[in-house]
Amino acid sequence: MFGGCSSDNELAQALKAGHWPEGCGPELRAHVEGCASCSDLVLVTQSFQHARRESEHALVCGSPSLLWWRAQLRRRNAATERVGRPITIAQTFAWFVTVLVGAVFVASQYRHGLHWASWWSEIISPRSFHFLPIGSGQAGWNLVLLISGFGVLALLSVLVVYLASEKS
Amino acid sequence: MRKTDTTGEYAIPNVDARVASRPDELPMDSDAFAGFYQRSAPALRAYLVRVSGNTALADDLMQESYLRFLCATRPEGGEVNYRRYLFGIATNLLRDHWKRPRAGCIEDVPEQLLAARDELSHIDTQIDSQAKLDPAMARMRPRERQLLWLAHAEGYSHREIAEITGLSAAGIRLLLFRARRKIARLLRKQIAADRRKA
Repeated sequence: MFGGCSSDNELAQALKAGHWPEGCGPELRAHVEGCASCSDLVLVTQSFQHARRESEHALVCGSPSLLWWRAQLRRRNAATERVGRPITIAQTFAWFVTVLVGAVFVASQYRHGLHWASWWSEIISPRSFHFLPIGSGQAGWNLVLLISGFGVLALLSVLVVYLASEKS
Repeated sequence: MRKTDTTGEYAIPNVDARVASRPDELPMDSDAFAGFYQRSAPALRAYLVRVSGNTALADDLMQESYLRFLCATRPEGGEVNYRRYLFGIATNLLRDHWKRPRAGCIEDVPEQLLAARDELSHIDTQIDSQAKLDPAMARMRPRERQLLWLAHAEGYSHREIAEITGLSAAGIRLLLFRARRKIARLLRKQIAADRRKA
């Protein structure tokens, strides 16, 4: 069993309000004399209240204005970090896409024997902007470039929209 | 326009919804915080000093408690709720501190270590230590110190202590009863020893 005294609450209230012992009846005082639990409560509460009163006069170091300023700084840093997170993610994604496209491009060039000059002349010639009949090798290349270009554009658009919505 | 909450023990400007929605601004202005700090800091420091037994640590944790208090979204209500919330932050910081170097439970911290720290903390004369209470507190476990101080020095109810410490109210009743009995026995021994010396 623990806390087994019916007068505990009444006594605790009296101690908390500072009514003990003068503000309490003779019955309660007589009860506390004979009750181990209640006398413990009185002894402990009075000791702690005394220590608490002593501590109220203690000099507390630290300036509230400095703390307030530091809190403001910390909060702003947290806000900046929150805002910067999607940008970091977008940058990482953009790097990943760029590296991937570069790797695909290098791999394809390596497989086709690195005919840079002929490939580039095909690109800039007006013929390359017309869709040739399927079956032609150059037309296939143009189509791949066109589709990948649109794909990258679409991805970038999604990213821009995402970033704009995050900032707002 | 700031709203003022007058339901608490002290009137403190309440959180302005428009200002609070901005992540880079604090929902309490500097003057209001200075007033709150002046009223609550001695009590919080006393709690941290008595429970940790280390004044330097108590000062560090107190500053961190106020910083987290200012950065967090505080509960509704007046200063009474703010104080309870602040004590909760300080209690969590103490627990984190005890867990950090040992990766163990708060209850595993040896009382002898804390008693030694207490002896060192007596050098600090800013808090006039009570001759009988301090040696008795030094022999209590950290959790018991927390509960005793919150219940008997701060006057918190079991439910409020449960909110601060994260323990169950029923568990607190039992722990507090045992802690009170233990410290009362130590205090009586101390009183008897003093009488014999006298």
